[in-house]
Amino acid sequence: MSRKALEPPRLLLAAASLTHGARMPRPRMIEIAERYREPESLAVTLSKALDAGAEGVLAVPAPALDAALVELGRRVPIYAVLPDPTPSGRYDLQPTRLDPLEGTPGAAGFGTRLRLAWTRATRPWAFAQRDFGLLVRLALEARASIIPRRALHGVVVAAGVTDLALAGGQHHFFEKLTRWIRGRFRARAAFETMNLGLLLARLREWDVRPDFVVGPVNPRGLMMKPSRDETLDEISRSAVPVVATQLRARGLCTLDEGARFAFEHGVLGLAPDLAEMDDVGAELARIRGWRDSKVPPRLEGERRA
Amino acid sequence: MDVAGAVAGSRGLEATRAAGESPRPLRPVRVAIVGLGRAGLAHATLLAAMPDCEVVALVDRRGEARARLHGLGYRARDFARVARMLEAVKPDAAIVCGPQHERAALATEVLAAGVAALVEHPFGVTLEQAEAVARAGEGKTLAGGCALAFEPIFRRAHELLAAGVLGPIRQARSSMYVTRVFDARHPALLEPGPVAGGVLAQVACDLLFLLVWYLGMPAEVRATSQRIYGGLEDEMHAMMKLTSGVEVGFDCSWSVPGYPQPATVIELEGENGKLLISDDGIEAELEQPRGGLAAGHSRLASAELPHPAAFDWGGEAMYLMDAAFLAWATGGPAPPNRGAFAIEVHRVMDALYRAAASGEPQTVAS
Repeated sequence: MSRKALEPPRLLLAAASLTHGARMPRPRMIEIAERYREPESLAVTLSKALDAGAEGVLAVPAPALDAALVELGRRVPIYAVLPDPTPSGRYDLQPTRLDPLEGTPGAAGFGTRLRLAWTRATRPWAFAQRDFGLLVRLALEARASIIPRRALHGVVVAAGVTDLALAGGQHHFFEKLTRWIRGRFRARAAFETMNLGLLLARLREWDVRPDFVVGPVNPRGLMMKPSRDETLDEISRSAVPVVATQLRARGLCTLDEGARFAFEHGVLGLAPDLAEMDDVGAELARIRGWRDSKVPPRLEGERRA
Repeated sequence: MDVAGAVAGSRGLEATRAAGESPRPLRPVRVAIVGLGRAGLAHATLLAAMPDCEVVALVDRRGEARARLHGLGYRARDFARVARMLEAVKPDAAIVCGPQHERAALATEVLAAGVAALVEHPFGVTLEQAEAVARAGEGKTLAGGCALAFEPIFRRAHELLAAGVLGPIRQARSSMYVTRVFDARHPALLEPGPVAGGVLAQVACDLLFLLVWYLGMPAEVRATSQRIYGGLEDEMHAMMKLTSGVEVGFDCSWSVPGYPQPATVIELEGENGKLLISDDGIEAELEQPRGGLAAGHSRLASAELPHPAAFDWGGEAMYLMDAAFLAWATGGPAPPNRGAFAIEVHRVMDALYRAAASGEPQTVAS
């Protein structure tokens, strides 16, 4: 795969709200669930998004999305957010478990099952427990392999996992996983985070360059950690492209305001969620032009040859 | 204690911070984490990102749990026993979140060594165990786990009530629902030892904390509970009567569809109007302007409030709780979840379980 093909996306449709991963008010969550109850309605929205210029869908692979893709009958580039961890909040009730392999889909193909079996056979479980990166790789292997290869344009390591490794200061985790995702899936390697400023700072310090990172950016500074100013400073310095989410700051600003703010501060791509738009086609079409704005000089160079 | 009493009782004790500012340790602090399950992992993750905080010890008798934390990059010394850790490391503070049936003993040991302790709720399996922890924490730095009280929106609601926006409360209703347990094999039902209870003890205790914080201690409670999937209650419905005679409704379930994220709602009606407090925001309908709120209908969205945590893992309330505890442990003000208050929540919880078991109203121990 050429370097050109691994360029980061400039405009994605995020669908975290389909799997309740988006942080949004409960009434909006119920509204979205109701709106996309039928696969047909989601398929229509996906189609409109692609026609409006979205380069793919950023989502946790889930039955609702799968059903819509089947209904659509059109190849949709997937930027898969994986592994899909159980909720990591205080209310999670699995006190002794931290196993990304938990719930590994049984529907994986023969090749994948063989690879998993080989990995497990060659890495004693007791040892594997000490290697968080290995556990995550096994989980990605199992889950990403279900997605048709040609549709899988990127593997985005889920925020719950990224931020665990970030807190643990595991630079090898980020380095190895980036290399492994590119090699194994021939797809972009990315990390989702709820601590964008901190992740960018660490990646810079460790000189690790995934294809892009995904995190909240909005004019209100909501969910921008460790702080709005520090995050903006890191975005402006980072050699790693940022794809911004939570552009509307849970409804405190418009999508246009969020998109403009993000681009003005050096973000390369946008990934507004279904829940952040009422008319997906029209709103994406409106910000499509901004997608083609000039690439910040720091992001130009050999990676984007 | 009524609303005014509850507010007066806490005034001057709580961490009062400028809006938008996160609490933080007042000096470098060395912390041990006792119990390396999910909660221990969450605390370790958050503390690793906290300024002036160093995780110096990891304690769990399960080698597997210790290995997992090391696998995540934590390089602190690990121990199978608390006594050995206290002797070797001498931390300034400890987060105690071991299994419920071991928690009281672990907490007591930590406190006896003069180490500040944040003990996850519940303190123990029985009220007697919890009382023992509270006694061990008298005159010391003991806090109970209640992250919800550190959610900016629930914190703001407390400030509004303290400012008297509603005046005397006439009635209250509350609920907490989450979609979690639909199977007798759910891990919540398979703890390695005895536990204090089901949805009330493990989830809705946070709502109970808010009610006691906002409204004061009930004098008497009535309750019914349902067990659907196992030996623990999956739902509870209760009425709590405050000393003022005001009735407070309380409903909780972890076996209800449609709540992938926990949803907490508190509806209060007072002399000056109504407040609806939820995870999403506060809606007020006031007769007279008070506490900075205008007369008539007004709404404050959660997103409008400052969210000052420096690190987010599954939200930021837990970070703020840990930071407030460490601020207290290093000479700062006491947080709302200080041990002397947390034990009162245990007493209400115990009364609710007694009421549900007996079918009769029960008085709350004081």
